[in-house]
Amino acid sequence: MAGDVTPDPPALEEVPATDEISDADAMAERLAEAGRAKRASDRTRKILAYVVLSLFVVIAIGPAFYLISPAFRDSVSLFTYPPEWIPSEPTLENYRFLFSSTSYVRWAINTLIFAGSTTLLTLVTNSMAGYAFARLRFPGRNVLFFVVLATLMVPVAAVLAPTYLTVNTIGDWPIIGNWIDIDTYLGLILPSAVSPLGVFMMRQFIETLPDGLYEAARLDGAGEWRIFTRIVLPLIKPALVVLGIFVFMLTWASYLWPLVAATDNEFRVLTVGIASLKGQFVTDWGILAAASLLTIVPVTIVFLFFQKWFVQASMAGALKQ
Amino acid sequence: MTAVDAPAPEMAADDWTMPSLGAAEYRRRARHYRFRTVRRAAGFLSPYLIVWGVFLAIPVGWGIFLSFNQGGIVDDRKFVGFENWTRAWGDSELRTAVKNTSIYVVIAIGVVFALAIFLASLLNRYKRGSNFYKVALYFPLLAPPILGAMMWFFMTHFDFGVLNLIERGIFGGDGINFLGDNPNALLTIVAVEVWRGLGFWVLFYLAGLQSVPEELQAAARIDGAGKWRRFRRITVPTLRPLLLFALVIAVIFNFQLFDSVQVLTDGGPRLGTATVVWFIHKRLFKFQDTGLAYASSIGLLVVVLILTALSFWLLGKRRQREA
Amino acid sequence: MAEVILRQLTKHFGSVEAVEDVTLRIPDGEFLVLLGPSGCGKSTILRLIAGLEDATRGEILIDGELINFKDPTKRNVAMVFQNYALYPHMTVYKNVAFPLETARMAREEVAEAVQRAAEMLEIEALLKRLPEQLSGGQRQRVALARAIVRQPLVFLMDEPLSNLDAQLRLQTRLELMGLHERLGITTIYVTHDQVEAMTMGQRIAVMRDGRIQQMGDPTEVYDVPANTFVATFLGAPPMNLVGGSLERRNGQTYFRVEGYELAVDPAVSGIAPYVLAEASGEAQLGVRPEHLTLAPPDAEGLPGVVRFLEPVGSDLFVSVMVAGHAVQVRMPPDTRVSTGSDVRLVFDPARSHIFGADSQNLRS
Repeated sequence: MAGDVTPDPPALEEVPATDEISDADAMAERLAEAGRAKRASDRTRKILAYVVLSLFVVIAIGPAFYLISPAFRDSVSLFTYPPEWIPSEPTLENYRFLFSSTSYVRWAINTLIFAGSTTLLTLVTNSMAGYAFARLRFPGRNVLFFVVLATLMVPVAAVLAPTYLTVNTIGDWPIIGNWIDIDTYLGLILPSAVSPLGVFMMRQFIETLPDGLYEAARLDGAGEWRIFTRIVLPLIKPALVVLGIFVFMLTWASYLWPLVAATDNEFRVLTVGIASLKGQFVTDWGILAAASLLTIVPVTIVFLFFQKWFVQASMAGALKQ
Repeated sequence: MTAVDAPAPEMAADDWTMPSLGAAEYRRRARHYRFRTVRRAAGFLSPYLIVWGVFLAIPVGWGIFLSFNQGGIVDDRKFVGFENWTRAWGDSELRTAVKNTSIYVVIAIGVVFALAIFLASLLNRYKRGSNFYKVALYFPLLAPPILGAMMWFFMTHFDFGVLNLIERGIFGGDGINFLGDNPNALLTIVAVEVWRGLGFWVLFYLAGLQSVPEELQAAARIDGAGKWRRFRRITVPTLRPLLLFALVIAVIFNFQLFDSVQVLTDGGPRLGTATVVWFIHKRLFKFQDTGLAYASSIGLLVVVLILTALSFWLLGKRRQREA
Repeated sequence: MAEVILRQLTKHFGSVEAVEDVTLRIPDGEFLVLLGPSGCGKSTILRLIAGLEDATRGEILIDGELINFKDPTKRNVAMVFQNYALYPHMTVYKNVAFPLETARMAREEVAEAVQRAAEMLEIEALLKRLPEQLSGGQRQRVALARAIVRQPLVFLMDEPLSNLDAQLRLQTRLELMGLHERLGITTIYVTHDQVEAMTMGQRIAVMRDGRIQQMGDPTEVYDVPANTFVATFLGAPPMNLVGGSLERRNGQTYFRVEGYELAVDPAVSGIAPYVLAEASGEAQLGVRPEHLTLAPPDAEGLPGVVRFLEPVGSDLFVSVMVAGHAVQVRMPPDTRVSTGSDVRLVFDPARSHIFGADSQNLRS
């Protein structure tokens, strides 16, 4: 596939063999001509490549622009042909409705609580576990690590039902059931913070730190906790940021678990909430577009600021083999 | 040297070479001393292991157990042996769902990988502005899948969707029934998922391509290797381990297809887009047929684990052969 | 400040015997050098004392207290690592202050102690920098400052000079000795460099394959090596060894080598008469290059042929083939000799050594 657009190697075969040409000037002339022809075809390829790339960019971000216009339009004037890209009578009616007649704010707050706590919990537990697996020697370490890692490939969906049942069962227990249950924050958060991916990532990263640092710190009288907080955590900050973004994005966008674990409107998150708008109001696209836009824009702004980290975060899951 | 159990009395008291501890006492203290690492490890591991154990390990185990039972949520649980499994095996709806999911997985991964490798090699070749393209292509991943699917729901709406408006307006057609017909519906879902995942895979393969040493490419070019040959001999071998790994991730992700199905078609029309996870979700929360749901969940788990193990085994074998 | 005792200290890594039955006593304030080739177990001994490894057997005592089962954080020993192991995210000040802050020392006291250590090592100007902004020599000083700042009982140094260039190494060597003199802290210094060992060590323990081969002050180890390993490991060029055999005739022992016979006199060679009486069979004669002299072929001595000449300015090293062995002879630089000529090697029997079939020096 790449072959279509990769330019030819310097086209040696196009240059006639030296013995055919007695005149050095003529040879130089022909070489230059070959070079010009090659440059011209290079240019065409280049233009073509950028056209293709731009086309995919349009496909990628086009639908988002399709959100903007309906979000600021009256639902009556939604569907016209030709599509009205700039609303003739812009209105904030959709937003007024969103804030007054739906629980959008509640959902947004829940989403922040949900994704934020999950991220924080993941960072704390995973870095600690990663440290133990990377640095502490204890019997059964490798076996335990292997068992934990083996669950890396367990699909969320496959354990959806038993996880639901587990949370539901804990919910029936005295005291603890007040905190962990279906339709509680902890019941929503804890099962979202189980993936061993971060443990694996942290372990790999912590292992790359030189042994001498731990040994020096140990001889300096520092216990494990002090080594962890004062030496290890500062040094793995980049990895923590990457993991944090990765987990936050994943949790924030998740749908299936919040759909079953937070059925009460009080605990509903944005994804589930917006999806619930779909049927609720005979599917008013204007309101859905407004809600979607409101949800995506902040993330996009954050993304543009931290794009380097985002890209690394999306790679992190994949390339940490 | 074996340590003696007690200092021998005939030795001079100031003989500094005499061990002060007997062998048994030494071993006891050494064991106790070594155990401190276990205590520390437990301290660092327990926060994660508790969450992992309660909310992942136990559910997995419980799911396996419950797949041999019936009821349990409202009515009493009773052991039914392999009944759920035989029912799942014979369930025509689940069969359709498995078939649909498999078709979806094959097409979606094929298309998205081909496009991603193509675009990644373009970006690898033409570096000017590549940062903009990378960021722009990544954009669909910022929207939660559910919102992305919703955008497409309206864009593909038969009467009002922008795609059909354009189709009718420019091409004068009758409009395409994107979601209300088979196999259109499944293909639309493929398109939506490709749209969403493309950016990730482009970045993924770009990272892989950039690990091909520049000198190697240049050396091949000087050796007069053609572009196709270069692609096959240098690029493909570099990407191959990556490709297999990517395949594993992609298969696992895509086997869990649910969000966009629920938004776009809810499994329809006529089960044309029913997927495994959609099936599980429906059995569990609409029909309360938990036994069947657990059996299918564990079935999904087993399939994914087998696929993973298989690919790692393949990967290992290839590495061995190359070594 | 403390006395360190190792008793039958043994460390196995799987089937590898890194340290085997090491027993030694390091008196308070001594500067002991552990010398040996890489992999001889010398670094492992340091790590055992520090608590970074757990001993398989044997005891470690500091000031009479058994510390085997004491956590490294509580042993109060300081170590200077080969690559310094500075904390890359902390300034020099923070690096040096870290052990004190760990010990929960008051802020002002920390500042004072860091200041003192910094002055001693002349790094006051660097306190605000990060390790990556320092040269190798400066890092070395910071590592030393971090080690001395909390006044440890014992100083452990693991090849601290090996990452420095030759000139800096020389200078730092002198400074380390000065530091030891000033602080008087018991120091165990690990190196594979015999020059470092000879110049710095109050005593040297030469190690091989996890065992101590010989222990003593530098001149003792140099002058009377316990075995052929020590003989050849110390000195540059090393002690010459010529293989031959011991024979006893008429109550007199002779060392025989092709074309030469040396009568070994117990009074001169320092070998106990009863040892000499029982010695026979294969043996090696050892003489240091500086104790050999070239003599004309008609003189009494080891016969050989000159092979190479290596003038090094201050000396002339002459390589002579003796009975199939290359023997180095150190001569004054103005010596006149040509390659290929027959010579005799003359030496003082009192400065020669006979090593038995087990490679041990018959003197010891």
